[in-house]
Amino acid sequence: MEKLLAIAKANSDKVEIFSLEQTINLVKFENSKLKNIECKVQSGISLRLIKDGKLGFSYTKNLINREELLQNALDSLKGGVEATFDFPHTKDLPRLSTYDPSIENISNKNFVDECNRVCKKLSSKTKGQINVSAGSAIDKLRIINSSGTDVLLSTSNYFFHNTILYPNSYAAIHRMLYLKKFEKSPDEYLHFVLDTYNRSLKKVNPKGGKMKVLFMPETMYVLMWRLLSATSGKDVYQKQSPVAEKIGEKIFDEKITIYDDPLNDKMPNARSFDDEGTPCRYLPIIEKGRLKNFYYDLHYSKKMNTKPTGHGYKSAMWGGDTVFLKPTPSLEHLHIKPGTKSFSELIKLMDKGIVVAGALGAHSGNIQNGDFSIGLSPGLYVDNGEIVGHIKDAMIAGNIYNAMKNVIDIEDTCYPVSAGTFPAIIFDNISVATRK
Amino acid sequence: MFDLLKSMLSKTDSKYADLRYEIKKEIKIIFNGKELTQIGSNLTDGYVLRILKNGGLSSVAFTKGIDAEKAIRTAEMNAVLVSENIEEPIRFAKADVVKDTFSPKLEEDPRRISIDEKLELTRKYNNLPLKYEKIATTNIGYMEVIREKYFVNTEGSEIREDLITTRINGLITSRDGNLIQNVRAGTGGSNGFAILRNAQEEFEKKTSIALQLLKAKPVEAGVHNVILNPSLAGVFTHEAFGHFSEADLIEDNPTMRKKMKINAKLGSDILSIIDDPTMPNQLGFYKYDDEGVMARPTQLLKNGVLVGRLHSRRSAAAFREQLSGHCIAQDYRYAPIIRMGNIYIEPDTNTFDDLLATMGNGLYILDAKGGQTSGENFTFGAQYGYIVKNSKLGKMVRDINMSGNLYKTLQNIAVIGSDLVLSKIGGCGKGQLNIRSCHGAPHVFIKNVIIGGV
Repeated sequence: MEKLLAIAKANSDKVEIFSLEQTINLVKFENSKLKNIECKVQSGISLRLIKDGKLGFSYTKNLINREELLQNALDSLKGGVEATFDFPHTKDLPRLSTYDPSIENISNKNFVDECNRVCKKLSSKTKGQINVSAGSAIDKLRIINSSGTDVLLSTSNYFFHNTILYPNSYAAIHRMLYLKKFEKSPDEYLHFVLDTYNRSLKKVNPKGGKMKVLFMPETMYVLMWRLLSATSGKDVYQKQSPVAEKIGEKIFDEKITIYDDPLNDKMPNARSFDDEGTPCRYLPIIEKGRLKNFYYDLHYSKKMNTKPTGHGYKSAMWGGDTVFLKPTPSLEHLHIKPGTKSFSELIKLMDKGIVVAGALGAHSGNIQNGDFSIGLSPGLYVDNGEIVGHIKDAMIAGNIYNAMKNVIDIEDTCYPVSAGTFPAIIFDNISVATRK
Repeated sequence: MFDLLKSMLSKTDSKYADLRYEIKKEIKIIFNGKELTQIGSNLTDGYVLRILKNGGLSSVAFTKGIDAEKAIRTAEMNAVLVSENIEEPIRFAKADVVKDTFSPKLEEDPRRISIDEKLELTRKYNNLPLKYEKIATTNIGYMEVIREKYFVNTEGSEIREDLITTRINGLITSRDGNLIQNVRAGTGGSNGFAILRNAQEEFEKKTSIALQLLKAKPVEAGVHNVILNPSLAGVFTHEAFGHFSEADLIEDNPTMRKKMKINAKLGSDILSIIDDPTMPNQLGFYKYDDEGVMARPTQLLKNGVLVGRLHSRRSAAAFREQLSGHCIAQDYRYAPIIRMGNIYIEPDTNTFDDLLATMGNGLYILDAKGGQTSGENFTFGAQYGYIVKNSKLGKMVRDINMSGNLYKTLQNIAVIGSDLVLSKIGGCGKGQLNIRSCHGAPHVFIKNVIIGGV
């Protein structure tokens, strides 16, 4: 990498090299039976260089030919992609605990045994189909640049996914365990999925209309995607954010506080620097309903004449290979502040309404405008303060700037899910379309 | 290359193993509004190894050739671990041994066209919407993916096939005050660069729709009769039905497998669906899948009756059904899984006016905006639509998302048009992305569909 930096420097004004090595193991069980074991060992290097205010970018999987990688980056300079920013000089970062070496002693056999144990435990207590998966990822990331930055990060993570499926579908109750090291799934975690499933086993077909709707942590991404779009420095710069002029204004109910917390190393994948080597920091997005901040990478912070917030990540909505992607603004450590009531207290408080346990089509609809219109997969029907069944052939729809003003209450615990760490939230007056 | 791959494979004594090496060349040009935000050409490569040992199957994807032997040991160990934890050993259906090198016929090979010309064509299309004051921004790009695939297995197959995909597409965003609307636009294919030329009309038409949407009213939520245009009916075919023709999705889901039994009557009498990756010049075209099995046209639904499904070698053996050649990987980072190629509803003889006349009142909805399925239920969005009253098209409506039960909806397909159109841009995510996923249909009239509204 040092050699590449040296030859790239000789051909340009500023250089950044990003290198990632990844080992992933994944064990999958379907219908309580082992289905698949997969392993991925991937490496990759990407190069960004700036010359005369223009950006060059290239990547490769194997650093066999440095000259070719450099040439590809130099060729891409000709396109004339503007780069007015500089690569940061980052040092004295806080030390975070991101790697637990015990992960090295864990094998796929441990994952298979854990999956077998959980399937056995659950299958005696439910008629539903049980799908579980367990896996680990070890990442080694290094970023060096011509401003003198040389930062390294090793991360370990373990996940366990527990799912019970409703008949004739993949609609399910599920919950994820997400840790820095391997641990057996605690009973209360297994019990929640089991209990919620068993209570909702009956198929019901309630009347539609406006009603109370609870989003589970697992479906909160439907709403968060809309907020992420509206508060990204990229969308603000491109004039496609409906809240671009609303910093400091109260846009949500005051019970809502949403923040990005990359430094919290109790969670896996904590970060002291982003994928551009900018130091990470705590960033409130919504505080007690007020819009506090937008988030930026190097490029869009410069465009908007503000400071980078340490949110330049090589990530995309549909995954993709980190190494191949250019950094864009992204919130990778999103949290919603919990409330004070347990999940069962929320259900009681709700009295009557729908729980969104799974969502279909969150990516369709007018995301920038804050609109959502999703199929329930499934919805759980609550009557008299209790979950009484599940509903599938139905939709809910709304706009986050209305929904987030009508918050009834928030769960007291947050769970790691695909887009962040969230509690369940009850909203009032959401439109539900059913066949009745 | 084959000799190197075969020498790597010779290090295993397992019953079956295959190794796929791919070189992937990618060109990306992206505009956000007037600004060019990315341009470049890159080359990456990698290996995927699969081993079937003692009745257990496992895969390892790796990037460095020197890791081959380690990958073999890991895959063997994992395959044995699988075999020790399953009751029925995994078997592969018998497949022909193939030695072949295949390059698709192209109208203008994109490799012979300069990146400057690609940039200028993309810029030209991107500039069309930006002329209008109420177009807030665009996100339009050129993408070229060339996969040079080398496949060998321990049965003696040696296959080299190239897959070449190009497209110019993206999003046009309009804005009026706080109201933001967007429309997808683009063209592309698997048969060369020529298809990208002369697409001005597409970008102009979609710009006009993005502007008209600013004045459209949100659709009323409820149960509606609807006519889907070919693009939307194609997505329905893919999402709602197609995925459950993929044997791996239902193999270990007993309740769904029961519903999807061969000879089950699932749809109305007029409905026939086929998946045919061998259709030349269509986006989903390929000759061999990533298990080295030759693709074949597979009739899935005939007059409403389930008559076939899409298979890998593993699933064909498990279901005791015919191989279909539908096991495809995104690239060298993934083991193959069962995917659709070119799936479509077979056309009937009715005109669009016939469909309008039969429906009378309802909605005419057009162009897909993402879809998803969870088994018997599906949801997908339409980019825009029109209210139909007395068989005549009326005002434009927006915010259309429909949802339904697969089996009920297949029965509710009342009239099928004659105007089959297949998609030019793909992007199906099933754990991995398939940019060549192609679907199509004629206009289709469906009764009683739930529309979510806003």
